[in-house]
Amino acid sequence: MSQKQEVNSAWAQVEEIYRDRLGKAKEYKGKDGKLIGYLCSFTPVEMITAADAIPYRITGNMREPITLADAHLETIACPFTRSCLDMALKGNYDCLDGFVVPHACDNIVKLYDIWVYNIKHPYAHFVNVPHTLSKPSLDFFAAELATFKKSLERFTGKELTVEKLTRAIEWHNEQRALVRELFQLRKHEPPLISGAEAIKAIAAVTAMPVYEGNKLIYSLIKESQGRYYSHKRKATRLMICGTGNEEPVFVEAVEESGAHVVIDDLCFGTKPYWFEVSVSTDLLGGIARSYLERLNCPRTYRQSPGSHKADLESRFGYIYELARDFRAKAVILYITKYCDTHSFDAPDLKEFLRKKGLPVLEIEGDYPLSALAGLKTRVQAFLEMIA
Amino acid sequence: MQAPKDQSAAEKARELLVKAVLEGPRKTTAEKSTETAKTVRRMVKQLAQKAHEARARGEPVAYLFIASFYDDILRAMDIVTVGTENYAGLCAAKLDAERFLAKAEAEGYPRHLCTYATCGLGFDALRYELGTMPPDAPDGGMEYPTVMLGTGMMFCDPRYKWYQAAQRYTNAPTYVLGLLNPPLYYTHIDLAEVRDYYLKYITSELRELVNFLERRLGRKMDWERLSQVVDLSERTIKLWWDAYQLRKAIPTPMSTEDAVNTMVPGYFSMGTEEAYQFYQALYQELKYRVEHKIGVIPDEKYRLLWALSLPPWYALVLFNYFEKLGAVFPIEAVYHPLPPLNIPENVTDPLERMALRFYNSVTYWYEKARMNSGNPWVEWFLELIRDYKIDGVVFHQARTCRTIHCGQLHQMNILRKYSDIPMLLLEGDIVDIRNYDEKATQGKIDAFIEVVDAYKRRKKA
Repeated sequence: MSQKQEVNSAWAQVEEIYRDRLGKAKEYKGKDGKLIGYLCSFTPVEMITAADAIPYRITGNMREPITLADAHLETIACPFTRSCLDMALKGNYDCLDGFVVPHACDNIVKLYDIWVYNIKHPYAHFVNVPHTLSKPSLDFFAAELATFKKSLERFTGKELTVEKLTRAIEWHNEQRALVRELFQLRKHEPPLISGAEAIKAIAAVTAMPVYEGNKLIYSLIKESQGRYYSHKRKATRLMICGTGNEEPVFVEAVEESGAHVVIDDLCFGTKPYWFEVSVSTDLLGGIARSYLERLNCPRTYRQSPGSHKADLESRFGYIYELARDFRAKAVILYITKYCDTHSFDAPDLKEFLRKKGLPVLEIEGDYPLSALAGLKTRVQAFLEMIA
Repeated sequence: MQAPKDQSAAEKARELLVKAVLEGPRKTTAEKSTETAKTVRRMVKQLAQKAHEARARGEPVAYLFIASFYDDILRAMDIVTVGTENYAGLCAAKLDAERFLAKAEAEGYPRHLCTYATCGLGFDALRYELGTMPPDAPDGGMEYPTVMLGTGMMFCDPRYKWYQAAQRYTNAPTYVLGLLNPPLYYTHIDLAEVRDYYLKYITSELRELVNFLERRLGRKMDWERLSQVVDLSERTIKLWWDAYQLRKAIPTPMSTEDAVNTMVPGYFSMGTEEAYQFYQALYQELKYRVEHKIGVIPDEKYRLLWALSLPPWYALVLFNYFEKLGAVFPIEAVYHPLPPLNIPENVTDPLERMALRFYNSVTYWYEKARMNSGNPWVEWFLELIRDYKIDGVVFHQARTCRTIHCGQLHQMNILRKYSDIPMLLLEGDIVDIRNYDEKATQGKIDAFIEVVDAYKRRKKA
């Protein structure tokens, strides 16, 4: 995006926060509550906010080689979790008051054990998320959230009242709505915000209190609507699906190869924002149902409705709908090496999208990302092929 | 080795691989010491045969995973099972996994995925493509499943992803039930606070499985029969546990190469008279061997623990290599019978009893771990090291299995704080021989035995 950013513009703020997410979070720590680091989109962040704490989404560092973690976690583990652990072992996350991990996948379960053994935060909690959508699973998850609530209350010394929880859900739902509105600007031709900017925006707002994040996104929307182009760059509209990408290195490489990344199905993208948490008399039951049923991830098993075709539609239909809605002409499936849940899905997902008429390029990625030039060549060849 | 009639590239590669392997060790399986273990291969063949016959009669066949904790339900409903990981292990031991692994890779499943799964998926894909069993498949091949029963657990994502992916080749419905256990550690919650709703969840999920099977297969659960099966399983587990206690003797009457076989009835025929009788026979044989001081090898110099690691099924003969150096494995922290459990008399619902069995087994070392090392596996290792008079600990890192083999370094780091016992980490895989270097492995073992020897001498002094 060849837009000039004013020094005090919202996008300039995003850039600044993105460059030092933890530094920004520390500014809020104490003033706005305790800083609780969490992993994965399955952490019910509204509960942390309701405890007057700041949920901080933990990341690895794609630019830093993994050194200390290799003595604790095998190199056959997902490199994203290894990088997160590496950052923690190097002291980067010493500032966190608490650490929350949901049961997402094997890699994260292993990480939790190793992290809490080696790094002693005043608070640590594991939220057990079922893999299935059965009635007992929903009831179990609601009970598990009641345990999470109890532990947060004990740690913060503050009750998570119905009022506080309702307000937190509303704030986070507002953030989800704002992100969706921001991402709508990617429907333009050319898109008003780039794929790389979208990731940076998400990285920024997950490093600050939700109400501050909402203000920032609101400003981003206003500012981006006013953008104009001196020349319109024609480029293929792409969707990116898969894992990782909390840093826009890969997305930037794709965009530099002559494409617009107009939508995604990523954790630092649409995934945590494309649903809302229900507000009802049963608040915890609503959170449980919303996260389990509406947050799409291969780690959640969806019972096949019958035929193979119907199964693929039930698992991946939303991806096709997103691609169609944002007029993506093709999909890049980027999977970080050793991510089992996504890797098992890859053949089915590719078959599904191709049958729908969407070409797919699958890339198995390293972390830290290496051989960018090679990746660009593959993307360029793909773009030529589908032109 | 006979040349295949119609050689595809994969078959040629396989032939070369087999040749290369045969130039090294002459066989893959290990020499066993107990007569009871020697009967297991026949049982495995019978299990496959039962599945083929059930299919021929039009009766249901279920794919299932090892240690899924719902086997009793299937026994009570007379549903024949196919252990899919077991079949991949068999293919590896027969050096016949490569064509299935290659097929899975061609289908788009990366090489770093669990090779039990990719061997199984490759087999299913090939069978689907051929419209019949792949030629010369070990034991007549994995029988076509009527249903595939996965589990959403805390430690193995392939347990629900594998069968979900396999649906494209089997056209069989998959059912996944949740079997979750709490983590060891919270800062502000006690385990006792979550126990009840975990047990309620597991019981409900087992009930949902019964509902699914009744609905799908048109069979009704006989609850009285299920109670009897659960009874029998509990007695079998106790017998199995007691038999393994006999392995504490010096010299040990049985080593791990036998245990990777003697686990078969416990994990694939639990809840049957056959399994019960098997462990009775094993118990009697081990008792006899202990009483007559019959060891695995004539001169037992070193006693090793096979830690939480799956074995390289294509190279079980490595256990015999240890034995040549005077080392035996009196015990292993894998494929072990479930720990003892006293179920309160007022718990009579068979599903609740099954839930308690699961919960007890996954949290058995939690309290000790909280009080001591902070890791339940290490707590168990320490207990085994003490009780079985262990001189060294061997881990095997299977490069494609994150389930069991991520966390080994952590376990070793902690164990080092509580014991100065020598440790060895071997590298390889469960099924894919391409991840294995036999010479390097033997070199590591040679060096390790020297360290164990020095450790023993130091201890004596």
